[in-house]
Amino acid sequence: MTGDIVEAAKFIAAGLAMIGAAGAGVGIGLSVQGALGGMARNPDAYGNLLTNMILGIAFSEAIAIYCLVIAFMMMFVV
Amino acid sequence: MANLFKGNGPLGIKHRWWVLLFIILNIVSVVLIAPVLPHIQVAPENVSHDPLFSLPVLGDFYLTNTLIMLVLVDILIVLLALGVRNAVRDNALSPKGIGAAMELAVEALYNLTETTAGKYTKTIFPWFATIVILVLVGNLAKLIPIGETFGVLHETHGEGHAIRELWAGGPVTLLNEKGDYGIIPYFRGIPTDLNFTLALALIAVVAIQVVGFKAQGPAYLLKFFNVTNLFKKPFFGVMDFLVGVLELISEFAKVLSFAFRLFGNMFAGAVLLFLISSFAVVNVFFPSFILMFEFFIGLIQAFVFGMLTMVFMAQATKGHGGEEHAEEAHAA
Repeated sequence: MTGDIVEAAKFIAAGLAMIGAAGAGVGIGLSVQGALGGMARNPDAYGNLLTNMILGIAFSEAIAIYCLVIAFMMMFVV
Repeated sequence: MANLFKGNGPLGIKHRWWVLLFIILNIVSVVLIAPVLPHIQVAPENVSHDPLFSLPVLGDFYLTNTLIMLVLVDILIVLLALGVRNAVRDNALSPKGIGAAMELAVEALYNLTETTAGKYTKTIFPWFATIVILVLVGNLAKLIPIGETFGVLHETHGEGHAIRELWAGGPVTLLNEKGDYGIIPYFRGIPTDLNFTLALALIAVVAIQVVGFKAQGPAYLLKFFNVTNLFKKPFFGVMDFLVGVLELISEFAKVLSFAFRLFGNMFAGAVLLFLISSFAVVNVFFPSFILMFEFFIGLIQAFVFGMLTMVFMAQATKGHGGEEHAEEAHAA
């Protein structure tokens, strides 16, 4: 019984840890929005904007990845 | 570019029946040998039973499967280098094949460095290119289709799977039933090991400091211990000093963010691939899509790792003394 509770707590904790991914989603959306707006106004800047957009996405995504690492640690390590 | 993709049709797929053959092979293999969900763990598995060697304080060192993969990746990179050397040896104006591909990639990376780093391009570019190539080959070697499926059989005492011999006396496969055997794969992608990413992050961050010292000399320390204005303008001087301390902290945060970004992305990809492959119905075609996605992610992450190193190095070469308070790229 206690083992089951610990197991359930692991899954709940992993799920809770992933809440942080919401913020990263908003961040990625905002950066893509900005880059697409810039591309629409100035199509010549496409390549430059794309590179920087992907960099920015990687930065925002890193936050979600931290949550994911924590969730993995909950499920597969502890 | 043109001589890269010779042959008929898009991307030179001359023999597109191969694709059909692989699809049929996929279905047949999935039906004959149903994939099972492997045991997932964050730390790399030990292939050897006994430690390779022991050090007094650090403890035992085992032969892990990521270490075997690292050797494979190194061999691949050396082969790549030899191939490029062969391609450019005869001083042709336009190298062919692998030489042309690498020329394209290296030229793109060099131009990118030049726009960011200016006159320090020759110092920074080798770091950038080395990191990109190592991480890229490491990320893509993880995707070799049957790479992580064969390995040593070991007993798991009730938590594993049952086994079956493929033919009498032949190799065994795991079944989708409870049993007490598991497989420790011989190969596992190097970025799915936190040791690799952390070591690479430490190398990158130390190299950033070295480049900073090379460019500015001892004045580089002013970035962290900013005492220039401390006595002239007390209030703003103290503010500058605190900002410098924040910079110092962000250097340590860079190590963590570098390491966890690469590790998290790649490990998540591996787990996703394991899960999708072990589901009953979707394991015929969906792993291919996941593999394609992982190819893209591996490319992006290798580029991001190198690019961030390059940008931080370029920032370290610029003095922090007053004239420009450009955006402080605190490591995300």
